[in-house]
Amino acid sequence: MSGGQSALGVRHVSKSFDLGKGRTVEAVRDVTFDVEGNSICVLLGPSGCGKSTVLRMMAGLETPTSGEIAIGGRHVDGPGRDRGMVFQAYTSFDWLSVRSNVEFGMKINGVPAAERRERAERFIQLVGLGKFADAYPSQLSGGMRQRVAIARTLANGPEVLLMDEPFGALDAETRWLMQELMIDVAEKTDTTMVIVTHDLEEAIFLADKIVFLSSHPGRVKKEIVPTFKSGRVADKEQLVRLSGYSDLEGELMHMMREEGRGHE
Amino acid sequence: MTEVQERSGAPHTLPDHDRSAVTPTMPRKPIFGLRTPVGRPQRVTSAVAVWALFFGVWMLASASGLVNELLVPAPQQVFATTWDLFAHRGFGSDVLISIGRVVVAFAMACAVAIPLGVMMGSFPAVEAFFNPFVSAWRYLPAPSFIPILLMWFGTGEAPKLALLFIGVIFFLITLIMDHTKNVREELVETALTLGAKRATVVRKVIFPAVLPDVVVAMRQMLAMAWTYLVIAEIVASTTGIGAMMMRARRFLKTDEILAGIIVIGALGLLFDLLFALIYRWAFPYLRTQR
Ligand SMILES: Nc1ncnc2c1ncn2[C@@H]1O[C@H](COP(=O)(O)OP(=O)(O)OP(=O)(O)O)[C@@H](O)[C@H]1O
Ligand SMILES: [Mg+2]
Repeated sequence: MSGGQSALGVRHVSKSFDLGKGRTVEAVRDVTFDVEGNSICVLLGPSGCGKSTVLRMMAGLETPTSGEIAIGGRHVDGPGRDRGMVFQAYTSFDWLSVRSNVEFGMKINGVPAAERRERAERFIQLVGLGKFADAYPSQLSGGMRQRVAIARTLANGPEVLLMDEPFGALDAETRWLMQELMIDVAEKTDTTMVIVTHDLEEAIFLADKIVFLSSHPGRVKKEIVPTFKSGRVADKEQLVRLSGYSDLEGELMHMMREEGRGHE
Repeated sequence: MTEVQERSGAPHTLPDHDRSAVTPTMPRKPIFGLRTPVGRPQRVTSAVAVWALFFGVWMLASASGLVNELLVPAPQQVFATTWDLFAHRGFGSDVLISIGRVVVAFAMACAVAIPLGVMMGSFPAVEAFFNPFVSAWRYLPAPSFIPILLMWFGTGEAPKLALLFIGVIFFLITLIMDHTKNVREELVETALTLGAKRATVVRKVIFPAVLPDVVVAMRQMLAMAWTYLVIAEIVASTTGIGAMMMRARRFLKTDEILAGIIVIGALGLLFDLLFALIYRWAFPYLRTQR
C-alpha cells in the first residue's frame, strides 16, 4: 500500500447501543474521516466520547447502526486478519510461550512452520523480547506482555493495526519506551495504525493525524495534522523541545476542557 | 545478630562473610499473626498435632473405659483390623471394585460434561437449549433415583454407575459452563481479530483458557462421586467398600466399619493429591503467576 492513499475510510458512521427496555444510547453520530496508508492516526477525545466504539467498529467487533467502514475499498463486515487489534487489558494466551503467542495468528491462518518461526523471531526481536521467547507471559512484566500482544498482532501481517489505549496501564517510563517502539515499528513495517488515547503527549508524539472526537454523542470535532513535527520524531525528549509542541498541546488541552465542561 | 548467636548455641563470632549472609534477619513472627501466612514447619507441626490430639483422645477414651468397647473400638485395634482385612480377607478386591466404579462413572460424566459445558459457555444458543434441562436435574437428589435405577438395571454394575453419573454430571456441566463464560472477552476478540473462525476460537482459545478451572471443578466433583459411591454400595451392593461395611454391621464388627471409613477417607485424600499433581504438571505456566 503506497503512502498518502486512503487505507481506511469511515463514512457517516453512527452507533447506538440498545440498553434494553426500549432505551438506547447514542455513542457516536455521523463520524467521517480517512486514515492514509502507512500513517499513524490518533483518535483523541474525552472519556466516554466513543473512541473505543469507533475503533471496535473498524475492527468489526461492533456493527455500525448506520454508515460504512471500508478498508482498502472493501466493506468491513466482521473481524478479520487484515485488521489486527491490541487491547488495553492484557490479552496474552497464558498457556503459550511468548514465541507460540506470536506465532498464534500465523498458525491458525495456515502459514507454513518455517516461515512462521522466522517471522515470529523477527517480531520478537523488534519488540525487544529476544531473551524471553521461551518464557510464559506470567513470567513477564505488564509492559513486556503488551509488547507480546503487539508482536503477535504485527507478525500476523495486518494491513491496519488498531490499538485501544494500549499503554494506559503502564508506568510513565515504560509508556515512553513503548511509544518510541511504535514509531520504530511504523517506520520498519509500513503498517497503518489507528491508536486510541486520551493522553495528549502520546497523541502528539505518535500522530501523523489527530482525529478529535467531541462527546455525547461522539462526533469529529476537528482533524489536526501536527505539521510542526515535519515528519516523525523518533525520540520523545526531542519532541517536547520542538517549537510548536506546546502550542498544540495547549490547543488540545483547551478542546478537552471545553468538551468536559459541556456536561457539567 | 542476636538471632545468629542463639542459633549457633555458643556466642562465638562467625567469620565475616557468614555473618553478612545471615544478618538481615526478620523480626520473629508471632505464631498467631493476623492473616500472616504460616511457615512450612509450623504448618506440618500443626497438621500432625491435630491428628495426634484426635487419636490421643480416642485412645484415652477407650483405655479408660469411658466408651463402650463394642461400639467404639480402640484406634490400635481398628488399624490392626484394617491390616487384617487387606492381608487375609481379600478387602483389596473390594477396594479395587469401588475405585473402578468411581473412575469409570466419573470418566463417563467428564466425557459428556466437559464438551457440553464448554459449548454451553461459548454459545448462548447452546446454553439456551440445554440449561433449562440441566438446572432442573441439579435440584433432584441423585439418591432418589436408587429405587427406579434398581428396577431398570437390576443389581449389576449399571445402577451404581448410573447413580454416580447422575449425581455428578449436572453439577459438573454447570461449573464448567460458568467457568467458560468467565473466559475474558478480550481473549476471544483478540483471536477473532487475528483471523480465527468460531470453531478455532473455541478449540484454541476458550478451551485452553478454561482448562485449569475444569480440572479444579473435576477435583471438587470427584469428592462428590465418592459420596454417591458409598451410598450406592451401602444400599444395593454385595461388593465394594460400602457393602463390606454393611456386612460388618450385621455381625456387630464396629472395627471393620471404622476400617472402611478410614480407607474411604484415605482414598479420597489420595485422589485429591493426584489431581493436585496433575494440575501442577499440566499447567506449569500458572506456577509463576503473581
Ligand atoms: N456495549 C455497550 N453497551 C452500551 N453502551 C455502550 C457500550 N459500549 C459503549 N457504550 C457507551 O458508548 C459511549 C462511548 O463509549 P466508549 O467506550 O466508546 O468511550 P471511550 O471514548 O472509549 O471512553 P474511554 O476514554 O473512557 O475509554 C459511552 O457513553 C458508553 O456508555
Ligand atoms: Mg475506551
